[in-house]
Amino acid sequence: MTHFLALVLYLAAFLLWFSALLAGGRSRQSLPAWTAAVGVAVHVAALARFTITYGELPLVGLGPSLSMLALLTGIGLAAALALREGGRVGIVLLPLAFTLQATALLAGIRPSGVAPDFRGGWFILHAGLGLAGIVGVSLAGAAGWLYLVQFRELKEKRMGRLFHFLPPLATVDRLGYAGSRMGFVLLTLSLALGWVWTVRFRGTFGQDTAQMWWGLFSWLVMLSAIVARGLGGGSAERRSAVANSLAFLLIAAGYVLLRLSARPGAGFL
Amino acid sequence: MALALVGLSYRTAPVEVRERLAFPGEEAQQALDALRKAGIEEAVILATCNRTEFYLNLDSDAALDQVEVVLAESAGPLPRPLQRYLYRCTGDEVASHLFRVAAGLDSMVLGEAEVQGQVRAAYQRSAETEPTMTDAVLNRLFQTALSVGGRVRSETSLGEGTVSVASVAVELARKIFGDMDGRQILVLGAGDTSERVVAALGREGVEGVIVASRTYDRALDLAGRLSGRAVRWEEVTTALAECDIVLTSTSAPHPLITRGTIAEAYPGGLSRALLMVDIAIPRDVEPEVGALPNVFLYNVDDLQKMLDETLDRRRTAAVPAEALVLGEAQAFANWQRSLAVVPAIRRMRERGERVRAREVERLLQRLPHLEAADHAALEAFSRRLLNQFLHEPTAQLREAAEEGRIEEMVDTVRFLSGPDSR
Repeated sequence: MTHFLALVLYLAAFLLWFSALLAGGRSRQSLPAWTAAVGVAVHVAALARFTITYGELPLVGLGPSLSMLALLTGIGLAAALALREGGRVGIVLLPLAFTLQATALLAGIRPSGVAPDFRGGWFILHAGLGLAGIVGVSLAGAAGWLYLVQFRELKEKRMGRLFHFLPPLATVDRLGYAGSRMGFVLLTLSLALGWVWTVRFRGTFGQDTAQMWWGLFSWLVMLSAIVARGLGGGSAERRSAVANSLAFLLIAAGYVLLRLSARPGAGFL
Repeated sequence: MALALVGLSYRTAPVEVRERLAFPGEEAQQALDALRKAGIEEAVILATCNRTEFYLNLDSDAALDQVEVVLAESAGPLPRPLQRYLYRCTGDEVASHLFRVAAGLDSMVLGEAEVQGQVRAAYQRSAETEPTMTDAVLNRLFQTALSVGGRVRSETSLGEGTVSVASVAVELARKIFGDMDGRQILVLGAGDTSERVVAALGREGVEGVIVASRTYDRALDLAGRLSGRAVRWEEVTTALAECDIVLTSTSAPHPLITRGTIAEAYPGGLSRALLMVDIAIPRDVEPEVGALPNVFLYNVDDLQKMLDETLDRRRTAAVPAEALVLGEAQAFANWQRSLAVVPAIRRMRERGERVRAREVERLLQRLPHLEAADHAALEAFSRRLLNQFLHEPTAQLREAAEEGRIEEMVDTVRFLSGPDSR
């Protein structure tokens, strides 16, 4: 029930932000922000209850891990709220959190029954950092989209609803920059932990698993996005926005493809 | 007593006349004093750059002539008789006019917000004058007007968007740079609009102002007015490299800033956003500069288009705003009409009170054993009973008055109350 309540609150917050967009960003912004914050709080309670009930963190299995990802996305949005207008990135992040949570509910938020040999503190850190890294990627991607839309509004000299609703270019650029760096660093740490565990406990330097390939692919994509910003010439901010938006799309598409092609019960996220 | 309004505005009088009757600073207070000397005790003077209006609660229309005398004395000789510029209205029209004014519906720039503060200041000046120059009716009129203005701005989109070149420039800068602290602006050429834009950006946090002009002395003069730094014309390219915002308004016959100028200013390429506002005719900035990746270039037509879009949206929003004003004006008119039955209600209550007091007195004489506490309880009981009896007739009277059936109701009250004897 609490999971469903969190889902409803994410949807409500999105609708409130959407109505703010239709009103050209002039309506009160605190209501959608507070609704999203309450949604996150309810979601924390729901996953805490899961942990207490089943004696494990919601990191294994499709339902629990997607719900955790939705929660972290909500937390990422809460962090963006600190940048005042930056919180309007919720117009992208809230549908994402809603979709993840809805998929998790459809898949069932219950223990998968799979007992992976990669467990304990190693696994919690690896999975937690990985999911947080993906949230950084989402934040950067969402900020990138908003940057590109606002850039177009400014270049085409329109002062319509989007222009008024969307945050300043500098704000979304800062958000995208922070998100991509955070995503890259956390993904790097997550992959490094997984690799150290494999070397230490499996005695091999690599494993041919879907999640490992997806993790490596995501890391390379994020690295490319960061490098793209540093390339000389033209607008670094705009290039970064394009790169972050593409990075998010590629990583999400990569996940869906690998998920669809994974063997049943392979335990892929 | 009846509400009345006499005034002039941009619709009826040119600026040469309006400025003669602007009542700046202490002059508004002096005009209020003059009205008081002329026997007008309740008045509010609303004086803005676009209008001067006297809101009055008068015993007779003849007092309006006194207002015109005060206005004529203040204006001095005018190109045409003062009456040609004035408009008058009385009764319900006064409220609907003031509500439209406070909402910005009657402003030169539709939906402008400044008038709300001007209405508040005008009302406060009269209310705080010793002795006060606002009675219950004017208090209610202005408090409702301020409330209507607030509602129109919060419930409709009439006040949305920016409607001056300066505010558009500020909005553009804010949407590009976010925080404006520490940003620098380069001003090429002088002019009122330039100065207004720089002042507006300064209020937002832009700190560095660099001024360049073909004539260095003029640059120095303008830099002095804008608290900026003047540079020689040959140094414009160097100054360009330091700036985030460029504002141009020279009278040069050909573009002063070309792609070549930008390439020279930024040899390694422009790697950060540059906002260029070109309000010169002919244009100072070559249009091709706007195609550069980090340049956001806006000329006069672009700015006008943005202003037009805002005004279009405001015109659409004016429809629900007018409906809101109409509803509030109707409610105010009803309230005013309900005041007409106040004397009848007072008479009815006074008569009831006399009967109550007499009957309580009689009863107490017949019950001498009662204690003081019993007396008080009996008094309270009789008052409650009287109030209960009179509550419904009072409410019905007010309602009937609001519906315009005043005389019929007052006659009924007289008939039911009997002769007004003590």
